[in-house]
Order: sequence, then structure tokens, then C-alpha cells
Amino acid sequence: MTRHIPVLLMALGTTAGAQWLNYPAPGIPRLPDGKPNLAAPPPRTADGKPDLSGIWAAAERHHQLAMEVPGGAPFTEWSRTIREARLKNEGRDIPTSRCLPSGIPPDMLRPPAPFRIIQTAGMTAILLEEFNNWRQIFTDERPLPIDPEPAWFGYSMGRWEGGTFVVETAGFNDKTWLDGAGTPHSEELRLTERFKRPDFGHMEVEYTFNDPKAFTRPWSVAVKFNLQADTELLDSHCENEQDLKHLVNK
Amino acid sequence: MTRHLSVLLTAFGATTAAQWLNYPAPGVPRLADGKPNLSAGAPRGPDGKPELDGIWFIDETPLGAYGERPVALRSEIRPEEVILTPEGEALQQQLKNYSPVCLPANISGLAAAQPFKIFSNRGTVVILYEVQTIYRQIFVDGRPLPKDPNPAWLGYSVGKWDGDTFVVETAGFNDRAPVPGGRPHSDALRIIERFRRPDFGHLQIEYTIDDPKVYVKPWMIKQSLHLTPDTELLEYICNENEKDLKHMVGGR
Repeated sequence: MTRHIPVLLMALGTTAGAQWLNYPAPGIPRLPDGKPNLAAPPPRTADGKPDLSGIWAAAERHHQLAMEVPGGAPFTEWSRTIREARLKNEGRDIPTSRCLPSGIPPDMLRPPAPFRIIQTAGMTAILLEEFNNWRQIFTDERPLPIDPEPAWFGYSMGRWEGGTFVVETAGFNDKTWLDGAGTPHSEELRLTERFKRPDFGHMEVEYTFNDPKAFTRPWSVAVKFNLQADTELLDSHCENEQDLKHLVNK
Repeated sequence: MTRHLSVLLTAFGATTAAQWLNYPAPGVPRLADGKPNLSAGAPRGPDGKPELDGIWFIDETPLGAYGERPVALRSEIRPEEVILTPEGEALQQQLKNYSPVCLPANISGLAAAQPFKIFSNRGTVVILYEVQTIYRQIFVDGRPLPKDPNPAWLGYSVGKWDGDTFVVETAGFNDRAPVPGGRPHSDALRIIERFRRPDFGHLQIEYTIDDPKVYVKPWMIKQSLHLTPDTELLEYICNENEKDLKHMVGGR
């Protein structure tokens, strides 16, 4: 919603050059007409690895991520029951309705809301537009913490396998939904994300969910992302309880 | 609160090596006994400028009645320099009803709450705040501040180096989050921050609060911070505790 407002204002005559939403970012390869060359090779860091840095948004919505695998995700009875209850009350208690994080991966799958990846030595940060929350992925070979305080974004470690950035995350709380259709998970969830950047303008992430309490076996979904060149993340702090009284299905 | 809990758990016997709260960070100069050498020289980047990277925490003040360190005491302000305009006086009255309920503080107060991490990459300095798990970007790629932007909680920030001082100019604030001491501001607020890292373990931030609608003249806030090496930020999702709202008095 927020993103739509500035676009509207610009249509009414604000000079586009004054808005960071249309600021030509440095370091982007360009075509002769000045447009970003999204088919150029991916940038690389000093150590020769692909550099995932950039502002990204999912190419399409993935509201029912768990239904994108043939036959649907392998729900256990525990997770099926919870999911059906959430569908029945129209998703009223999705965490974002109370300004709580939607968690990984739905926070990356809400186009047009983008996120920024910043890849540095030892740590890759993801700055989410959603609620302006951040996430750190450590690449300094530290071990995942043992029995940490359960967290909305978990605890993430990354490593490179060839040109693929492989991120393992554990230590989640059980409060986030894996998709907009109420797919639950437990604190046992281990998430593996495999990031690939085949060219400058495109990224693919394969998500693998391993949670014996919620799924009878691990399952995977691949999602495509497009680079959002020459724009910027917006301020989107969530103001709690403004909408709650209007929600249906109490 | 969360941080205190983890410290307590550690005291009860969790192996400290298993916690990122006690992970020895690479790149920290050390004394002979392995402890960080906080008075070593500030690190410098390829351009010769000091690097501000690290996890920073505001210097301690005396403990309050409940063992808490009152945030207002952590920022050095000279009240005699803070002179409200008539419009400012009216805003100060309205602020008595301000209830932050998990909304961000002004940038001049954010550094006085929980630890935060500074890192930089390709023309951007990023601050990850532990409080509310929110971030802020400071652009150092020469872009101008946006004209008439959508008012934002943390405003829009651009930075440049003046000798060894990192100077950040921020505007485009919404008029809601008070500046330290529960003081008001308008959407005309501009803040100049000056970051200095005199040695490896210390950071000083000076804020100039410039808001001609609300204050007769600009005034300053000073904060002294220290590096907290070998630890990590904790997650802090404030709205989780929103269950308190119905019990709160005043405001709203």
C-alpha cells in the first residue's frame, strides 16, 4: 500500500529526480538507452563469488507456497489441522495482522514489497521493507547456536557451494506461517535456502523445509526474484492495532 | 529484558561457546590475555577514513531503582540551550499524550536504547538496531536528500566524511517520535550527526537538533558509546508484548 502512494504522487507531478524511488543507482550495467542491463553477468565479490547484493522482489505472489509442490506439501495431521483452522477463519490471526513479522520466507514473497541483500565479508544482511526488519546471515563459519532463544527470524549461517549461496536456519519460534494460507511449522523447523544469481537482473531461491512435526518429509519450492534497479526501500513501520477492530471472524 | 534473560540462562550453565552472545569476533585487536584491546587505534578503510563498523552500546549510567539504566540519563543535553518557540510549547503539551507502543524512537534516541551494529558496503552505511530489529540506511554515494519525501519515522539520511568525522544529515521525518527527554519536533526537523571513533573501542555521537518551528535555536545531544566485541545482537520484536496495551494508563 505504502509503495502505491508515492507512485501516485509522482503521477500528480512530483519531480521523479527528487525521489529515491527513482534514483539511478551506481554500479548497475546499462544499455545504450540508459536502462539497466538485466541480462549482464552477475557482479562478483573480491573472492570471485557471485555478489547477491541488490534490491529484489519476487516475480509473482506465492500465497499458497505449500501447494506449489505436486500434490501439496506432505502435511502431518498436526499441521493439517492447524492449517485448516486458519483457513476457516480467513487467516485472521496471521502475525502481520498484529504487526508481527511474517517470517521467512513470506517476508520475501510479498511483491511489490522488496528487500535488499547486502553481502559483506563474514555477514550477509537482508533488509526487509516489511516493517523495516533486518536479518543477518553469518558466513564466518561460526556454528549454529545450540538451544538458542526461539526467534522470529531464527539463526542463519551461510556458505558457498560453487556459485550457490546455501543458508541454513534453525532456532525458529513456531509463530510464523510459511505462507498466506496458514501453513504452520514447529520450533524444530530447519530451513535451507539456496540462492543463485544467474545474471545481473535475476535471482532464484530454492527453499527446503525440514520439520518432522509439521511434514512427513522435507519439501522444496523454487522462487524467482527480479532485481529492482534504481529504486529504494520505503519506511514501513507497522502501527499496531489500527486495523484489529475492523477484522472479521473474531 | 531478553538480553538479561539470556545472561541468566548462561549463568545457569548453558555452554557459553554455544551462544553467539559470546562468540569471539574476527578482526578485533587483542591483548596478551586474549581480551579485546579497546584502546588500539581505530580501524581504517582503503580510503584512509576510520571505519565505524562494530556493535556499539551507550556508556553506563548509575542504576535506577529496579536495576534499569534510565535512557534519558544516557544522553547529555544542556537544558538551558533548549528553548521552545510558542508553537513548540503547544507541541510539548500535546506530547504528554504520546504513547510509543512499539513504534520507532527518533534517530537521536535510538542509539541510547539497546546495542546496534554499524557496517558499510558500497556507498551505504547501515545501522542494525537491536531495539525493534529495525535498520537505517545512510547513503554516502553523493545523492541529494529527497525533496518533499513521504515523511518517515527515521527520516532520509545522507553522509559524508569531514576529516575523521562522519557527518550525517537527516531530514524528511514525520512529526511523531519525540527527541530525547520527551521533547517535541515538527516535520521541519533536520538532524546533523557527527560520528567520531577516537580509538578501537569508543564512539562519540553528537546530534544537532535543528527545527526552527519548534526551537529558537539548534541544540545538541551528546552520547558516548563503547564497542561490545565478541557478542551479537538479539532479536527484539516489540509487538509481541503488545498484550500490555490495554493495561496502560494515560495517553491514547
